[in-house]
Amino acid sequence: MDFAPVLDGFGVVLEPVNLLYCLIGVVIGMLVGVLPGLGPAATIAILLPITFGIEPVTAIIMLAGIFYGAQYGGTITSVLLRLPGEASSVVTVFDGYALARQGRAGTALGIAAIGSFVGGTVSIVALTLVAPLVAGFALDFGPPEYTALALLGILLVATVSGGSRLKAVVAACVGLLLATVGRDTFTGAERFTFDNLNLADGLDFVPIAMGLFGLGEILYNLEERHRTVHAPATVANVWPSRTDLRQASGAIGRGSVLGFFLGILPGGGATISSLAAYALEKRRSKTPERFGKGAVEGVAAPETANNAAATSSFIPLLTLGIPANGTMAVIFGALLIQGVAVGPQLVSQEPELFWGVVNSMYIDNILLLIMSIPLVGLFVRILRVRPAILAPVTVMITLIGVYTVNNSVFDIVLVIVFGALGYVMKKLGFEPGPLVLAFVLGSLLEDSLRRSLRIFEGDPTGFLTRPISGTLLVLFVLVALLPAFQALRHRRRATAHDAAAATDDKELV
Amino acid sequence: MTTINRARRWATAGTGLALTLSLAACGGNVGGGGSDAAEYPDGPVTILVGADPGGSTDLIARAAAEGMSDELGVAVNVENRPGANGALSLQELAGEEPDGQTLAVFNGSLAYITPFAVAEGEAVSIEDYEVVSGLSLDDYVLVTAPDSGFATVEDLAAAGRPITFGTTGVGTGSQLSQELLFNQAGIEATSVPFDGGAPTLTAVLGGQVDVGSIQLGEAIEQIEAGELTPIVTFAEERPTYLPDTPTAIEAGYDVPVQQSRALVAPQGTPAEVVDRLNEALDATFETEAYQQFNEDNQLTPWEVDGAQVTEEYTSNLQDYRAVVEEYGIDLGAEQ
Repeated sequence: MDFAPVLDGFGVVLEPVNLLYCLIGVVIGMLVGVLPGLGPAATIAILLPITFGIEPVTAIIMLAGIFYGAQYGGTITSVLLRLPGEASSVVTVFDGYALARQGRAGTALGIAAIGSFVGGTVSIVALTLVAPLVAGFALDFGPPEYTALALLGILLVATVSGGSRLKAVVAACVGLLLATVGRDTFTGAERFTFDNLNLADGLDFVPIAMGLFGLGEILYNLEERHRTVHAPATVANVWPSRTDLRQASGAIGRGSVLGFFLGILPGGGATISSLAAYALEKRRSKTPERFGKGAVEGVAAPETANNAAATSSFIPLLTLGIPANGTMAVIFGALLIQGVAVGPQLVSQEPELFWGVVNSMYIDNILLLIMSIPLVGLFVRILRVRPAILAPVTVMITLIGVYTVNNSVFDIVLVIVFGALGYVMKKLGFEPGPLVLAFVLGSLLEDSLRRSLRIFEGDPTGFLTRPISGTLLVLFVLVALLPAFQALRHRRRATAHDAAAATDDKELV
Repeated sequence: MTTINRARRWATAGTGLALTLSLAACGGNVGGGGSDAAEYPDGPVTILVGADPGGSTDLIARAAAEGMSDELGVAVNVENRPGANGALSLQELAGEEPDGQTLAVFNGSLAYITPFAVAEGEAVSIEDYEVVSGLSLDDYVLVTAPDSGFATVEDLAAAGRPITFGTTGVGTGSQLSQELLFNQAGIEATSVPFDGGAPTLTAVLGGQVDVGSIQLGEAIEQIEAGELTPIVTFAEERPTYLPDTPTAIEAGYDVPVQQSRALVAPQGTPAEVVDRLNEALDATFETEAYQQFNEDNQLTPWEVDGAQVTEEYTSNLQDYRAVVEEYGIDLGAEQ
């Protein structure tokens, strides 16, 4: 491959403005990571309006920094307070907090930071090698391929993400329905606009994301966080000992690889990979009973994997234009607003943006390593800010922010409506992620499907005759049927067991 | 009161925290509102653009705004209000005070092509606006990927199968030009609408559709690089930027379709304000920077006065209505 654009990308990152936004991004990310509740998707959604005034590459570098920083920051509260700052740090609680209670909080944080750094860096190198390969197929991606890809993306998100599968599918369907609002781009017919000009172009992505992720989360957390927060354990001696490092090295290596691959999958991402990495280490370990009681690997594996996955989840977004999770959906929205056409052509048409963003992740990792090890004490102090102060300020920023996007009061109303919806959804156990993703992919799905059918002259078998769309659709069917298969196998095994039991009974009789 | 509102809107139009930066950047023009005899302009002027930033309409508006700002001595801001092919921004303009502080770029296709695609109440008429001046013309070119083996309209007719053509959207010149051409040439063809020029271009490059009609400025790089074969242009005369490609008229089909753009103000804007704007525009047209901009973007200057714009748009609408009816073309609900 040609490395010149990769090197040019470093030139982009090293511009002072980009370095500055890189730093701003990781600091904000670290902060929201430390604060339990506000996740990276919410933060990026709230900060979307700020990005409009700056260059696309700078904006995305900052947003990527926030995403990254949150992965590092989430660890701190998991270890010190037993309160995971991020969903992807939930498993870190088990061994991290146990280590903290043994007075080894510093070791846990140090190992987590080093693991995160290695996982992230390995993943960027892999991304650099893989992304152009995918982009090589750019022109082969026509409407039928996008149809299949969008279908697969929505299905994976709905089925793989945490929580109830049925609820995720319901949320995704609502998202698809919301995507149909507005003028039909094929016939010019008005759909669900109720003669309101504000709806003629459909619902805007920004207020939906800011409402569901931002306002909804704030409201929900306000209710959750009335319980008192314990004083954090003291942190000393962040540099892990050589024994600890040796013990963790295997977990870090496996976590990097596992995280990278799980992150690529739509619907995968940081949370699942951290769970998988923890499970893998526990299964491989000769002494699984140490897990949950302060095993260094139990911190290293999930933290490495969640950072590797955070990086590789950029691959489907930047090479195919398909966001793999909620946070990527918000970044996708930011790119669209900036007028950047995200898709297979991005690498060749906007090499500076692509490589600028990818290479900025190296800087993010270095900055975060510095902030996590020597400066960790500073971030621990932030835990003392009371939610009663934080929440109203964030709500204010959210509402002012959304107004400045289009100078539209209608958008403020939308944020409040979707904020209320997001709160109710969380209360009832629905994740907003699948809704937002399906909303983003909904119009792509509809438009591509209709375009494809016109190209095929109305013959749906055309999807199967094209290699890429055919393969994707087979994958779609497999993923859709997987739960049914598992249930069937489960039942068959159960019946076999019953039958065997019955025979035994007979013999006994 | 309106002044206060406008000033406040302008102030928030920037963006959250970046506001301070942008204010500092264009601060030179802010307070300099003209308090001369004409009392126009009274504070910053806003040009609404019904398309996303970065597209040709947006670039044209920005190039014109830059020159006008120098002439008028106030900031001229371009605000993007994408939606409904630009109809949304014009509807918004119609609701503004007719004082020349808010203007919009009018895409000709909205006046003489879109009415065939949308419901009657949604169409925009040029007669509802005060036209300041014409700006420029943009040509459509019919392109195909080199390995499709097509080079002329006859090749398409002899394909022996229905062909597919990409359009940049419903109710656009891209769609009308191809519908007219294929109907006149008796070629069986299916339209596949995309969202604008770039996706259409990609679809043609990748062979997803057989041909596509794209604005010249968006296709010229690929044509010069040999990645796209131009078949015909839909201009009245061969555009200077593509001298070796025949026009559809030369190829024997009467389908002149061009995109044109004009600067408009709300109806009822005082004549002296329109004159002042015209002066500023004329001076802009003279600048080397603006002329270079046209050349760089393959735009043909069309700097005619308001009356002529209205007249041409109206006669275009009638001409197209006649041919559309003759061939029974329905741009909208043809699904």
